[in-house]
Amino acid sequence: MAEPFVEMEYCQITKDGQCACGDDFQWEKPAGEERCIAVLSDGLGSGIKANLLANMTTTMALKFMRSNKPILRSAEIIMDSLPVCEVRKISYATFTIVDLSAATGRARVIEMGNPGYIQLRGETEIPPCSTGNLVSSRWPDRQMDISEIQMAVGDRLIFCSDGVTQAGLGRPEYRFGWRRQGLLEFARELILADPGISARDLSRTIAFNAMSINPDRRCVDDITCAVIYLRKPRTLRIITGPPFHKEDDGAFAALAVPDGGKVIVCGGTTANIITRVLHREVHIDLKLACCSGGLPPPGRMDGVGLVTEGILTLTRVAGLLEAHEWEDAPAAAREIIGLIEESDAIEFVVGTKVNEAHQDPKLPVDLEIRRNIIKRLHEILEKDYGKKVTVRYF
Amino acid sequence: MIDLEICCGTTCYMLGGAALLELEKALPEEWRQLVDVRAVPCTDACAREDLGRAPFVRLNGELIANATREKIYLRLSELVAAAGGEK
Repeated sequence: MAEPFVEMEYCQITKDGQCACGDDFQWEKPAGEERCIAVLSDGLGSGIKANLLANMTTTMALKFMRSNKPILRSAEIIMDSLPVCEVRKISYATFTIVDLSAATGRARVIEMGNPGYIQLRGETEIPPCSTGNLVSSRWPDRQMDISEIQMAVGDRLIFCSDGVTQAGLGRPEYRFGWRRQGLLEFARELILADPGISARDLSRTIAFNAMSINPDRRCVDDITCAVIYLRKPRTLRIITGPPFHKEDDGAFAALAVPDGGKVIVCGGTTANIITRVLHREVHIDLKLACCSGGLPPPGRMDGVGLVTEGILTLTRVAGLLEAHEWEDAPAAAREIIGLIEESDAIEFVVGTKVNEAHQDPKLPVDLEIRRNIIKRLHEILEKDYGKKVTVRYF
Repeated sequence: MIDLEICCGTTCYMLGGAALLELEKALPEEWRQLVDVRAVPCTDACAREDLGRAPFVRLNGELIANATREKIYLRLSELVAAAGGEK
C-alpha cells in the first residue's frame, strides 16, 4: 500500500475588533524527509502584539524542530526572545508542536499551555499519554508535556487554542466553557456522521461551532483549530501531451483508466489518442462555451472523467494556483483545481512530443512548453498546497 | 442530419475557433433541426501543414481549413440544399 498521506489543515477566526489574529499556525514537510511538523501558538493578549508573539513562537519552533534541536533549549530560546508586554510585564505564548513521521505514524506532541490534544481513531478517542515533562530552571512555571504517540491510517489529531475550549463562557449552559470534553464529543459526532470528513472540513466546523456557542455568537477570543488526518492518499492522475514515440500510445492511453483514483485528460490530441486506443467518446458541453473565460469548454470522457484543452488550460491553472485565487476562474480551470484540492497525491503523465503548430509566430500569445508548465505546477503544488507530486514522462 | 464538428484544440481556439463555438445559437431557425453541432477535442489537422491553417471544422467529415462563419454558412447552405433535393 502507498505511504499514508498527511492532511494538515487549520481554521482560524480572529477576535472581534482586531485586525490580526493573536494565534498562529505553521506547518511544513521538510524537503527530502517523510516528516511533517506543525506548530500552533497562542500569543498573550490579542491583536498585533499577540500576533507577533505567536508568530515568533511558531517560526522559531518550526526552525528548531526541523534542525532537531533539543526541545528544552529551544523553548528557552523562544521564551528568552519574546518581547515583554509593557502592560503585564511578561512575555508569553503557548504552543503545541507535532512532529510526525508519515512513514511510521510515530509522532511526538509537545505542549505548553494550550488545551490538550485529541487523538481519534475513527470516532474512538485514544486517550492522551504524556510520556514526560520538561521544566526549564530559568522558566520554572512553564512546563512542557511530551507525548510519544502512534498514529494509524485513519487517525486524526486535533489541537487548538483556548478560544475553542473556552468558547461559550458566559452562557449558563457553558459555565466552564465548551472545554476539551465538549470539543471531543462534537468531533466524534462529526466523524460518526461523515467517517471520511477531511481535516479541512473538520477544523472549519469545529472553529465555527466554537464561535457560534459564544454569547451573541461573537468571537470573543482568537480561535484556531488544527487537524492532522493520516489517511490513505486520494490520487489524481493528470494526463497531458502526446508521447514522443507513437509506439508508446497504447501504454500511455492505458493510464487513463482510473485505478482507484481520479483522472483528468488535458489536451485535444491526448484525448484523441485515448479515444482511439480505448474506444471512449468525449462529450463537450457547448453551453459552457459562452462562459469559458478564454479557455475551451471542458468535456467528459466515458469511463475516464474530465477532459480539457491542454496548454492554455494548464497555464491558467498554474497562474491561479500561484495567485491562490480561483473563485471566478473559467469552468475548465476551476474543475481541474477542484479535483486537485480533493486529492493528496497528484501524478502527471506527460507526453513530450511538441506540436509544431504551437510554435506558429502568428499565434496571439506565446505558448509555454508543456514540460515547463508541469514544472511550475509541480513546484507550487508541493510548496504551497502540500501535495505529493510525481511526474512520469512519455 | 448534417454533422458539424468544431475543433476545441489549442491552435484552433486561439486562431478564431473560440468564436465558432457559439455558432449553433446563430444558425437560422430552419437549419437548427438539420445540423448537429458538436465540439471535438481536436481534429489533429493543425499538425499537418498540407491541410491548411487553423481554425478547422468538419462538415459531414469534410475538413474545412481557415474556417469562418461565412465559410461554414456557405458550405452548410450547399449541404442543406442537397439534403432538401434528396427529399
